[in-house]
Amino acid sequence: MEFFQSGAGERTVRLDPRTKIVLLFAVSTVLLLGGNGLVMFAVRTAMLLFPFALLAVSGRVRAAALMLTTYLGTYVLAVFAAPMLTGTANAIIVATATVVSRFVPTLALAYFVFATTTVSEFMAAMARMHMPDWITIPLSVLFRFFPTLGEEARSISAAMRMRGISPLKNGAAYIEYALVPLMSCAVSIGEDLSAAALARGLGGPMKRTNVCAIGFGALDIVVIAVSAAATAALAGSLAFPGAVA
Amino acid sequence: MASNDTSSTVTVKMGGRLGGKDLINIGIFTAIYFVVVFAVACLGFVPVLMAAICGIIPLVAGIPYMLFLTRVRKFGMITILGLLTGIIMFITGMGYFSIATGLICGLAADLIWKSGGYASASRAILSHGAFSCWIIGNFLPFLITADTYLPTVRAQYGDAYVDELMTYLQPEMYPVLLIACFVTGIIGGFIGRAILKKHFKRAGIA
Repeated sequence: MEFFQSGAGERTVRLDPRTKIVLLFAVSTVLLLGGNGLVMFAVRTAMLLFPFALLAVSGRVRAAALMLTTYLGTYVLAVFAAPMLTGTANAIIVATATVVSRFVPTLALAYFVFATTTVSEFMAAMARMHMPDWITIPLSVLFRFFPTLGEEARSISAAMRMRGISPLKNGAAYIEYALVPLMSCAVSIGEDLSAAALARGLGGPMKRTNVCAIGFGALDIVVIAVSAAATAALAGSLAFPGAVA
Repeated sequence: MASNDTSSTVTVKMGGRLGGKDLINIGIFTAIYFVVVFAVACLGFVPVLMAAICGIIPLVAGIPYMLFLTRVRKFGMITILGLLTGIIMFITGMGYFSIATGLICGLAADLIWKSGGYASASRAILSHGAFSCWIIGNFLPFLITADTYLPTVRAQYGDAYVDELMTYLQPEMYPVLLIACFVTGIIGGFIGRAILKKHFKRAGIA
């Protein structure tokens, strides 16, 4: 169980973790609040394409292409299916497409952030921001833990398939069959994680040192500027709805 | 395990200080809690079920929550769980409001669990009821930012979808949703306790 040293793999874009946090805020805000008019449509489109671009540039071209296709597919479906269908069919298809197309860009960004940030970098950045331990430690455990949990969940569902247990056949009992072993695994992995982390000096009385070189570069400034511009455009269009129509 | 040799920056008003092991436990259980919530929330793709997930999430989420409570002996742990759940909801695009509701409901749940001396079974169940109310935060964007949010959706996806959605999300529906969260939270607490007794107590991890 690697906790403080996790390989983030090859990286072509090197962004400071703090830049990524700013970007997360900007994209979520712009996509959530939207805004109206031509200008905001352009801003929104730019902001939701940004995550796919970052993902592709960071070397995950296939994932980026897949998510972009999903996004465009559901978007086109929502726009073109809406006028043609009526009633319940309309509601179900359009709602599904809407929800998927709404979440894919933020999920793409979240994927980019997790895939390119090591726990060490994250902790170093949080320390620079003077975030207290009680928020930094659970957050870094959380992010490191998702892939592990996914792995366990895949193994458990494979085991259940082998024994002929499926959500369709067993209904609500399946939740118990899947969740109980998952939680048992998680607890025992957690014990190991705690022991490893304590052995590495987590929770010690001294200030932790970190060898990670984090800092702002030219690319960080560009990303922060774009985020700030998009948020400012959104704020402007909300404050003066008539001005940028 | 040594859980009191904590870092110097952590200060908790009441009870002991949160140690490294406590903080790691919070991270782990937030991950499990979120996976459960996310899996159930996928049912929300169907618009009829969109409001119903309010009532379904707590039924399942009670299981990890009850196991989490067996690890909680200090004030502040449930509050952090709520805060972190809200932050992940925000990252995955559900809006900011879950951060606030997570913090408030987490704090309430924390106080309830503390009042039972970290051991009372009925307080544990009540605490899950209070905690489950954070889910309302996922729906608040429709209420609070409706003026800016809905015209965008309407322009993109047509009136039929928005009308369908809004029949479930009328302002007067919010108290109903809140009560639904609380009540199913209580039921989920009972389910969680039953599962705990059946499996985890016997395995020695509860």
